[in-house]
Amino acid sequence: MVLSLALAALGLASAVVAEGAAAVQEPRAASGTIHGRVEVRRAPVGSERPAVAELGMPGPREAVDRRRSVVYLETAPQPAFETPSPGRAVLDQRNETFVPPLLAVTVGSTVEFPNSDRVYHNVFSLSKPRRFDLGRYPRGQSRSVVFDRPGVVRVFCEIHSHMSAYILVFAHRFFAVTDAEGRYRLETVPPGSYTLALWNDGAVRARRELRVEANGAVELDLVVE
Amino acid sequence: MSSCGALAAAVVSLLVLAASHALAGDPLSLFGGRLRLGGEVSGTIAPEDEGFFNYNDYETSTLRLFRIDLIAEAQLLPSVSLLFDGRMDNLAEPRVYALYLRVRPWQGRDFDLQAGRVPPVFGSFARRRYALDNPLPSLPLAYQYLTTIREDALPGNAEQLVAQRGRGWLVRYPIGNTTAGPGRPLVNAERWDAGIQARVGVRPFSLALAVTQGTLSHPELEDENGGKQVSARLAWTPVPAFVAGFSAASGDFVADSARAALPEDGGTGEYRQQALGLDLEWSAGHLILRGEAVLSRWRLPAIDATRIEAPLGALGLFAEARYKLRPGLYVASRVERLTMAELASSFGPRSWDAPVTRVELGGGWSPARHVLLKTSWQHNWRDGGRVRENDLVAAQVLLWY
Repeated sequence: MVLSLALAALGLASAVVAEGAAAVQEPRAASGTIHGRVEVRRAPVGSERPAVAELGMPGPREAVDRRRSVVYLETAPQPAFETPSPGRAVLDQRNETFVPPLLAVTVGSTVEFPNSDRVYHNVFSLSKPRRFDLGRYPRGQSRSVVFDRPGVVRVFCEIHSHMSAYILVFAHRFFAVTDAEGRYRLETVPPGSYTLALWNDGAVRARRELRVEANGAVELDLVVE
Repeated sequence: MSSCGALAAAVVSLLVLAASHALAGDPLSLFGGRLRLGGEVSGTIAPEDEGFFNYNDYETSTLRLFRIDLIAEAQLLPSVSLLFDGRMDNLAEPRVYALYLRVRPWQGRDFDLQAGRVPPVFGSFARRRYALDNPLPSLPLAYQYLTTIREDALPGNAEQLVAQRGRGWLVRYPIGNTTAGPGRPLVNAERWDAGIQARVGVRPFSLALAVTQGTLSHPELEDENGGKQVSARLAWTPVPAFVAGFSAASGDFVADSARAALPEDGGTGEYRQQALGLDLEWSAGHLILRGEAVLSRWRLPAIDATRIEAPLGALGLFAEARYKLRPGLYVASRVERLTMAELASSFGPRSWDAPVTRVELGGGWSPARHVLLKTSWQHNWRDGGRVRENDLVAAQVLLWY
């Protein structure tokens, strides 16, 4: 799994110009789409350490939805790198859970970390693409982090070891987080040949070669066993 | 293979399995999440502690220790869990640190019952004594330092007690168990007591009560004197940044074996350990400040002149700070004082055991989430004993999962 994670990070960090697509600067009208559905069959992994030193049970918490996946192009056309589009995203701390547990952003994006709980949280990451420690702050306050390098950033809370989330930082815009039904859609993909990668719960679970034609639509369903 | 060997092999196997899983980022979870495993492996090295300032009552230096700790939680029913903590020190025989049932009778209500070998309700440090929760390699004096009090061996008079000042790691008295052995700390963080406890939370308060076999100084699995300890802690959290805990405990201390060795007129009293505690924590940003006060007193039989009439009091104080300099890197410090009440004897008035002061400075670095490297410099002063002052530099490697 560690290796897979490293490979995933490598894949994100080295998203390169796709063969056959490097010189293609198609207008949006000629671009295609890739869409489909991801089915996650593997059992979710618990993330809570046994709380032996506690004097009681923890309060009820929402189960972390680990079925969400990220589908992305491992190789992307040159214009995607030349026009980065940093955005803003929010990773909330609510009921001792990161919401959502999986974010995907482009390089340069800012992620806000509001605390919506009555208790303190201390968000941090020791991942190489972005190490940070936001310290402790109360409900109603927020801190933000700019993610300026591509890669996989695993986020934790120092106080509540069961809290974790992933932030995938891409050097291009050709990625999508699956919705509650597992659907994804990559829009305005220039014609060309690509490697599509499926990332779920800490690792790249599948890769598929595909070709997008001008104004074409590629439907590709994926399964995580 | 002996049963102990088999148990050790099983523990090590589970540790390896859990650790390999933890490296991927999550604790090991089996049976659909109904059994979860975690733990710690820590190695601490330091020069020989010739003053025995850091020894525990297992006769091991806490700064020269390789500890393997396996914790498990089995969810038997939605509202019932079985919790276990087994540990092995310096690859010796594994022992059960915790084994208890946790029940939440009414879902949605902040009320829990726990029964078995349970975490202590008194104070704060004993529940955060895992190496991960302790910013420094050592334990606070109030929770570890061996005084000259023993539950199974008793001094016949004040002179015999005072003669042992500063020698808590190896005490010998003429009544009861006459073999030299370690004394007891104010509160023993190295083992948990057996009994039942209840906790109820009504924001911003949380109240925990426990009835257990032993005492703070000497938690027990089996009752040694037919008496029980009652302990409680009221925690007040007015804002997330601040927690104050008020604790109290009272329990029969002297073991039946020592009581049986008393003269006829000396063994009828109530020989209890009673304690009061105050713990405070304030945190914000990258700073955590903690402090605790433990006031304990033991009543021992008054046998011969000079008689030990009054309870033997001791006060342990410490203040601790941790500040994170950057992700994964922090500095920490703890300042402590352990004082004992004066006792009249033919030597003149002096404290019944030697007071100790400790200053410790250190820090920690996490190259990865599940790895913590700590180091510290510690200076100890003691008003008695063979070694009255020493410096120790310690380093600790911790893998947790």
